[in-house]
Amino acid sequence: MTLLKRSNSASDLYVCKVLYRRDRLYSRRTKKPLTIVLGREARMESPLIPQEIREKTKYCFECGVCTASCPMAELLSPQYNPRSVLQQILEDPDRALKSEGLWLCAWCYKCYKRCPQGLKLPEILHTAKQEVAKRGFDASFEKAVSIIEKHIPFPILCWYTCFHPERTGIPNDKIVAMKEKLAGRPKKGKKPTNRQGRAAIIGSGPAGLTAACQLAERGYPVTLFEALPKIGGMLRKSMPAYRLPRKELDNEIQLLKDLGVEIRTSTEVGKDIKFDELWRCGYKVVFVAVGAHTSLKLGIEGEDLDGVIDALNFLWTAKESAKVDITERVGVIGGGNVAIDAARTALRHKAKEVVILYRRSLNEMTANPWEIGEAEKEGVRIEFQVAPKKILKKDGKVAGLECFRVELGELDETGRKRPVPIEGSEFSLQLGTVIVAIGERTETSFLPNEVERDRSNRILVNPVTMETSMTRVFAGGDAVTGPASVIEAILAGKRAAGFMEKYLNETGEREDAHLAS
Amino acid sequence: MTPQKLWRKPLDAEKIGLPKAEIHVITDLCKGCDFCIEFCPKKVLEKSNKLNKRGAYPPKVVDEDNCALCSFCTAICPEFAVFTIEKERREGSESGEKQ
Amino acid sequence: MPILPADPEITEEARIGVYVCHCGLNIAGTVNCEEVAEFAATLPHVVVAKDHRYTCSDQGQELIKNDIKNSDLNRIVVASCSPRLHELTFRKTCEEAGLNKYLFEMANIREHCSWVHHHDKEAATEKAKDLVRAAVAKATLLESEIETVVPINRKALVIGGGVAGIQAALDLADTGYKVFVVEKQPSIGGRMAQIDKTFPTMDCSICILAPKMSDVGHHPNIELYTNSEVQEVKGYIGNFTVKVLKKPRYITDECSACNDCSEACPIAAPNEFDVGLATRKAIFTPFAQAVPSTYIIDRDLCLNEEGIMTCDKCIEACERQAIDFDMKPETIELQVGTIVVATGAEVSDPTRFTNYGYTRYPNVITSLEFERLINAGGPSSGNLVRPSDMKIPKTVAFIQCVGSRSKKGNPYCSNVCCMNTVKDSLLIKEHWPDVKIYVFYLDMRAFGKGFEDLYRRAKEAGVMFIRGLPAEVVEDPKTHNLWVIGENTLQKEIYKINLDLVILSVGIEPCKDSDAIQRLFTLSRTSDGFFMEAHPKLKPVDAPTGGVFLAGCAESPKDIKDSVTQASAAAARAGILMAQGKVTVEAITPKPILENCRICGMCAQVCPYNAIVVDKEAKSVQVIDAACAGCGTCGAECQFEALHMRHFTDNQIRSQIDALTEEDADTKIIAFCCNWCAYAGADFAGVSRIQYPPNVRIIRTMCSGRVSSTFIEHAFARGAGAVLVAGCHPGDCHYIDANYQTQRRVERLWKKMARLDVDTDRLQLLWASAAEGERIATKIREMQSVLAKLKPEGVEKATKAFEGR
Repeated sequence: MTLLKRSNSASDLYVCKVLYRRDRLYSRRTKKPLTIVLGREARMESPLIPQEIREKTKYCFECGVCTASCPMAELLSPQYNPRSVLQQILEDPDRALKSEGLWLCAWCYKCYKRCPQGLKLPEILHTAKQEVAKRGFDASFEKAVSIIEKHIPFPILCWYTCFHPERTGIPNDKIVAMKEKLAGRPKKGKKPTNRQGRAAIIGSGPAGLTAACQLAERGYPVTLFEALPKIGGMLRKSMPAYRLPRKELDNEIQLLKDLGVEIRTSTEVGKDIKFDELWRCGYKVVFVAVGAHTSLKLGIEGEDLDGVIDALNFLWTAKESAKVDITERVGVIGGGNVAIDAARTALRHKAKEVVILYRRSLNEMTANPWEIGEAEKEGVRIEFQVAPKKILKKDGKVAGLECFRVELGELDETGRKRPVPIEGSEFSLQLGTVIVAIGERTETSFLPNEVERDRSNRILVNPVTMETSMTRVFAGGDAVTGPASVIEAILAGKRAAGFMEKYLNETGEREDAHLAS
Repeated sequence: MTPQKLWRKPLDAEKIGLPKAEIHVITDLCKGCDFCIEFCPKKVLEKSNKLNKRGAYPPKVVDEDNCALCSFCTAICPEFAVFTIEKERREGSESGEKQ
Repeated sequence: MPILPADPEITEEARIGVYVCHCGLNIAGTVNCEEVAEFAATLPHVVVAKDHRYTCSDQGQELIKNDIKNSDLNRIVVASCSPRLHELTFRKTCEEAGLNKYLFEMANIREHCSWVHHHDKEAATEKAKDLVRAAVAKATLLESEIETVVPINRKALVIGGGVAGIQAALDLADTGYKVFVVEKQPSIGGRMAQIDKTFPTMDCSICILAPKMSDVGHHPNIELYTNSEVQEVKGYIGNFTVKVLKKPRYITDECSACNDCSEACPIAAPNEFDVGLATRKAIFTPFAQAVPSTYIIDRDLCLNEEGIMTCDKCIEACERQAIDFDMKPETIELQVGTIVVATGAEVSDPTRFTNYGYTRYPNVITSLEFERLINAGGPSSGNLVRPSDMKIPKTVAFIQCVGSRSKKGNPYCSNVCCMNTVKDSLLIKEHWPDVKIYVFYLDMRAFGKGFEDLYRRAKEAGVMFIRGLPAEVVEDPKTHNLWVIGENTLQKEIYKINLDLVILSVGIEPCKDSDAIQRLFTLSRTSDGFFMEAHPKLKPVDAPTGGVFLAGCAESPKDIKDSVTQASAAAARAGILMAQGKVTVEAITPKPILENCRICGMCAQVCPYNAIVVDKEAKSVQVIDAACAGCGTCGAECQFEALHMRHFTDNQIRSQIDALTEEDADTKIIAFCCNWCAYAGADFAGVSRIQYPPNVRIIRTMCSGRVSSTFIEHAFARGAGAVLVAGCHPGDCHYIDANYQTQRRVERLWKKMARLDVDTDRLQLLWASAAEGERIATKIREMQSVLAKLKPEGVEKATKAFEGR
């Protein structure tokens, strides 16, 4: 009986002959008994996976949709492949525990949204990571950190907002040591630039920062325009401090300044400088990364009362000053990441009771599922299939919220079930503050009409090059995808930077439309 | 037959030549009975707010492109005050759908 | 009706022969059959007790026949597989030996015992013994019965005019029976009329279908009702009364299909036949080869309202005066003997998979839209054009498994999409050899005859098969080209390919109104939504209801060859019934015992078939055997023991309960399962080898409505640990609504138990369908906790409370 054993390098196959003795298999070479992990059995019995997830993973048929959606897979291609990491967990758990792929998931849940079987990869990898932490295999963790250091722009930002190593159980001192290592990585200084092409980046969120950093590292003069007085975009404005400490953000941004990027804050393109002027100023390419900052309005009675706060403003105020004007009972309307952040921030301030009201069910909630779990653990109550009808007032302030229950009906254009109000199901909640977090739109009126946008005002781009329908104008981040995760914005910035270079070098015609990468 | 919502614009929508109509209202003959407005199946006519010589509000055309040339208005008007004429059938006229 | 004494004396002493089957290793592998046979020999009235390897085989049957003759046996018990499988076989054996077939009883020690208790051989053997004991107890009280013979109407009804319906209708009509075909759409033809070519032969689809359609239209034995729907079905096997609503076309038979009216009509709309890719007028014919070849007016589009004729262009244009706006819907009553359900399937809607962009990007089309585009008679005259700019694409991709094999869509595989794509790619290469074609697949399923050849041809033609479904389809807003982004799992690379046209291979779903059809025929549906066959291997075209047969995609997704095969099979099966001209009604109908009857009329009230007629003045009770389906609800309702429920008498069921609670009653769950759903579901659990704890004992009744509260109380009085009553889902009861009575009775009993301070958890009610083996197994597992917390005092209390019941 022969056993084919594959070593780490795919081209190095060797056949190991095995002796068969009753019910044990022995390796002829080492004369030691072999434990062979057979695929199907391992799949069923693997202790790494909790029962309810194990039931579902049976159905993974390796369609590859997770890898194709994963921003980390593209950033680290070909080193990180979530589909093969999942398969390895199922088929060869012992080896999977030693691989660095486990640590590279950025918790964006894009794979889960697309997976035909609805597998929650971040949570499966999380369980594996906990197992590793228990066994103490730190070598893979360190290797992952060095990969992050080499290939991911702004590794410290990602450390806090994407990788969340503290969730796994690795000892805290180890995590801090790795973080210090990342912080102390050799930074690329200002490269002497002899390049002529200048690039303009509008918006200094993660997408803009990445694009600026990438181009500056390659030696191009870059100008970063930011409408607010400080750069950082959503990371500065509304990412709560408990998720991303301000000091770390400032440190990373220092990197940008060291690279010689020209930063023009308090400059709003469209107001302080018109879009067409950019060409006249000599910029060869423009990258639009303005994000999505305009909160949607509810459109119900009482919205302009004292006590109704827009979520983004609330998060900004909470960051800037320790004092926020909220009452003890807070209601948050919405189901995205902003709503969860707002609820958790409210709890860390004066609020005693926070309830999130979402008009669809848990399956349709767009917020990061892990964050939803964390919010619930902290004591946030979530009410599903509830929609607000009107805000009740007393003495000119918010006294409560009248809501009604909905049931989920047919699918609408976004593919989610449409909430249908149930007659006569009105009820009231006693609240002192209502935080509105039902979605953000991007504000792109400063762009010329040539830049095509869709119905929700998002910019349409070529998914390979990130170029818009107007040549030399690129776009990325929330302005293209709508509110999404930090890692997706970083990926967009990196992708765009690669293709913006072509214009900056003026090497001639664009790449063939039929591009297969 | 598939029950999917038929959301596409048919590929031969341009080629179907539907009759183009011209609607004429002789305002001074109208006595304001509103039969034409009420019974038009495509709701092409609306009551205007200009008084005519007879002291009535005659109809005005709001949606000439939608007219299907059924000529019911012509038939039903007691005063012969409204009639439709078919213009040349043109290639490339949009198909009209009942609301 | 003859009046029988209340407690029929057994005029002869029972001499029972017990046969325990090994069924090869199916039973013998888990249950010790010799031990069970030895045990059986110790039971009262048992004269012969043997075990045999394959009792249903010829030798096994011979053995039984010989024993009946030689040992003068007058009751037979066979402990083997499910009675739903072989009861008929053994009943015939008994008859051949001269024994009345109702003197036979089966104990199910395979599906309900050996197959579901693999890991506990001892417990399985004990359970087998219990089941044999119960069967023997019932057999002791069995009586010989005579069956009523019911004539079968030699007419058949075929619902659905797709290729399956057409084939079934032609086969039945050619055999000589009168056939009614009812089709919802204005023309027959179904899906097959819409597609272009068929695989693997690459025949033109409508060319091979049209002659058959024409045959149906002209056949002297076929009456075709198109634009009609079945409203109501009453009756039973051989004697169905069907009400069909014939919706008006507003066109008389004078129509010669000249098309003048359509030319004159001023209203246009997207055409359903061309999936919205072409227009039709408000007066139209569905497609050129429609049968019947006539027109129809869509009143929703037509300008003419009820009573107000605003537009008369079509009437003016029609030379033969064939238009009649005053046509009214007609209800036709048909008397038929058998029904073939061939309602077909629909294409699933990929709009909900928003990452593919269907309906947002014009150049993402479904496979059905592709068929219409490439069809020479279609909206683009056979040119595969991109909907955005009507140009022929240079690169094309097919995405497989859209809506199939996924939690978000349908969990099953839709059977035809892989080969459909292979055929489509060859079609494209035939016309435009330079087009680059990608197929993104998970598995290519080419299982049938000639399929692998076709797949190889496609690969030879240069079609690129890439394993790895796309995660996203993104549109380039300027050119309306599409980017497809996914992972090539075999190469471990992410691909981003720019294409002109993307075709989604959508799956097949059961027809949306299959709900209505299901209610009409009390058919069962599997969790996928397709209709369930009586037995997946041995009766693939019979529906569980007698006299109703299934054909085509109504039963499961399949291609044309399999649909035609199944249709012919259904026609043959229906033909068997109609050829015999008669069918015997099982002798399980009740007989009234007038001496005990108080003429309260409750039995008549609960009967779902109105088969009992109670005349209060004449003080008479009559049971119409032919209308009775044998559910037993009347018997459970009667408080005065005035109905003798043949073959499922109160005494027989009580004796079964007694036998099963003889030993260790407080550790057991006594389950009353209805024959059609719960018992079949437990059989299905057995077939699927779903394991569950061995302390459940199932008693079979035809319907859960037969389970009277007295049975449950008697079980508790005997010390049973828990009782489970299992039946069909409400609304799906095989006997229309008898299970509502079950619910009522159980709820009343719960209240009584609460009053008597007996733990109500000990009585449980479960609705399960025949496909829900797992549900039943889960329930039994759940009930273990009820038994675990049961204390001896609790058992005592219940025993005392229900003493004497």
